[in-house]
Amino acid sequence: MTGDVPLILVVDDDHDFLVMTRRVLESAGYAVACATSPCEALDTMAQAKPDLVITDLMMRALDSGFSFARKIKSDARFADVPVLLITAVASRLGYDFTPDKVDDLAEMHVDGFFEKPVLPNELLAQVEALIGLPVQEGKP
Amino acid sequence: MSEPPSRILVVDDEFGMREGCRRILSAEGYEVATAADGLAGLELFTEGGPFDAALVDLRMPRMGGLELIEKLHELDPDTVILVVTAYATIDTAVEATKRGAYNYIPKPFTPDELLIPVRNGLERRTLTIEARRWHEERERRLLEVAFERSKCSTVINCMTDGVLVVNRERQVVLRNNAAAHVLPDCAGLPLPSPLEGLQCAPVRDVLAEALGASSGPMIVSREVGIGKSTYMVNASPVFEPGGEVLGGVAVLRDITALKKLEVAKSMFVSMVAHEIKSPMAAIEGYLNVILSGIAGEDAERDRHMLERALLRARMLRSLVSELLNLTAIETGAFVIKRVPLDIGSVAAMAIEACQEKAGAKDITLTCRDDESGERPVLADRDAMLSVITNLIDNAIKYTLAGGHVGVVVERNGMYAKVIVKDDGIGMTPEERDHAFDEFYRAKNEQTADVPGTGLGLTLVKRLVDIHQGTITVDSAPDKGSTFAVRIPTV
Repeated sequence: MTGDVPLILVVDDDHDFLVMTRRVLESAGYAVACATSPCEALDTMAQAKPDLVITDLMMRALDSGFSFARKIKSDARFADVPVLLITAVASRLGYDFTPDKVDDLAEMHVDGFFEKPVLPNELLAQVEALIGLPVQEGKP
Repeated sequence: MSEPPSRILVVDDEFGMREGCRRILSAEGYEVATAADGLAGLELFTEGGPFDAALVDLRMPRMGGLELIEKLHELDPDTVILVVTAYATIDTAVEATKRGAYNYIPKPFTPDELLIPVRNGLERRTLTIEARRWHEERERRLLEVAFERSKCSTVINCMTDGVLVVNRERQVVLRNNAAAHVLPDCAGLPLPSPLEGLQCAPVRDVLAEALGASSGPMIVSREVGIGKSTYMVNASPVFEPGGEVLGGVAVLRDITALKKLEVAKSMFVSMVAHEIKSPMAAIEGYLNVILSGIAGEDAERDRHMLERALLRARMLRSLVSELLNLTAIETGAFVIKRVPLDIGSVAAMAIEACQEKAGAKDITLTCRDDESGERPVLADRDAMLSVITNLIDNAIKYTLAGGHVGVVVERNGMYAKVIVKDDGIGMTPEERDHAFDEFYRAKNEQTADVPGTGLGLTLVKRLVDIHQGTITVDSAPDKGSTFAVRIPTV
């Protein structure tokens, strides 16, 4: 019944963030795929469309998370996939990425924004709000 | 009167005349010398001079009065020459005056008739000399002023900072070359010219503000962007001794380079902050996951996360010490003791230190020393150990299990060359170009698990640099990397 389990793609160039996020999400019953760059992530998405993308903001480039999110939202195949942005540095070099209003999120082409580290419960609550709980196997 | 008495020469072939004059003049306090003819007079004038005045008879043997007058006048134009003659005609008077005589006294004369022209002549002489001294003094002063002025204007014009001076009527009265260069529109301004004519409003404003100073010294400062450069404009009022504002001076200093440094510094601080925040977030994140208990009881996975957290904490600590080392090198506080050193033995020590790490990854670590201490390098032992250890450590990190890391020490002209070569994952040209950049780390699937601070190679390069050495890198993806360090030999 793997088809019923929501697939979440986590994109981060920090290996440890992938490990811990996978752990949290898997514990809640979600299926998790990982990618270390937006490029790799797009490859993975072409093979299996995820139900949610969780991405880091600053990977190779300062704003690679933003352009990745924009790419997802502008791709007809993935336009309905929600994107969660998580970053260690919300402001840098005078830029301030912290969204103040819900409108800001739309401007940023994302559906949620977190600063690292995220508390597991908060992350799961946000994920649940976006894509719902996974259907527990073996339960009605 | 402290001044010495005036000296007067009397030249006359008539004894009675000479003596008569001497008595009258001596009685008045003059110092008198006499000669009996023109030639004797000339000799006395030359040898016993200077004389303030000379009384000269016209008709004398050996040398006549006119000739004598001419010679005396030539010898000392300041000597007042009075012609004493019994043959006073207009013609002779004119002739004598032409040759330099001041006046003439017709014989016979009373004492007063002698004394008055002598006194007048001497007075005139004093006045002439004084006037000349004044004139000379004035010339000298003028020259000095001109020199000071030109010195001052040269100094002002040679200043690298722009200087603008306005008077209290708000007119620009001075601008140096630098100011004309910075504010091109001010280069063509005739001086004086109204301050309002300056196109650069901020410069106008600070000067106006300085002029408006009510009391006491003040400095109005403003950063002004002009063209592609940034200037610090400092204006101060100039006060009269009475305290009234006389004008204002603005100095324009180019601080573009400083601003760039400032930006570079904040970028660096921001990078450091990011490099610290990321591992902190990872450590905190792991601890959050474990403490939340959300992941269920899985001792092995928890242990793995704790190990990762510990590793990140360790990296954080080495990041901090590497940062401190880098700062120490950059501020010159890093003390290096350069001594003749066998680089081969240092390489052997570094290999020894890395052997365990290599073994754990099943990597073969070999060393070949072609130099064998033949020609020592001039270097700091600890710094060299740190350089080679860092390179080997790096090579092991980026080489897959079962690979090979080789160290070769060889001679290279006036340098000793240490080569650290691996057959690891290598770098793309772009990664290679940034290898020595602060906090740069190649990030891809293969390097995801490799811990590092991103400062190791930066530190290596700095250490090599302060030894006047060079470091180069050759690399290809999946082929491996080769780092070559060259350090000058003794």
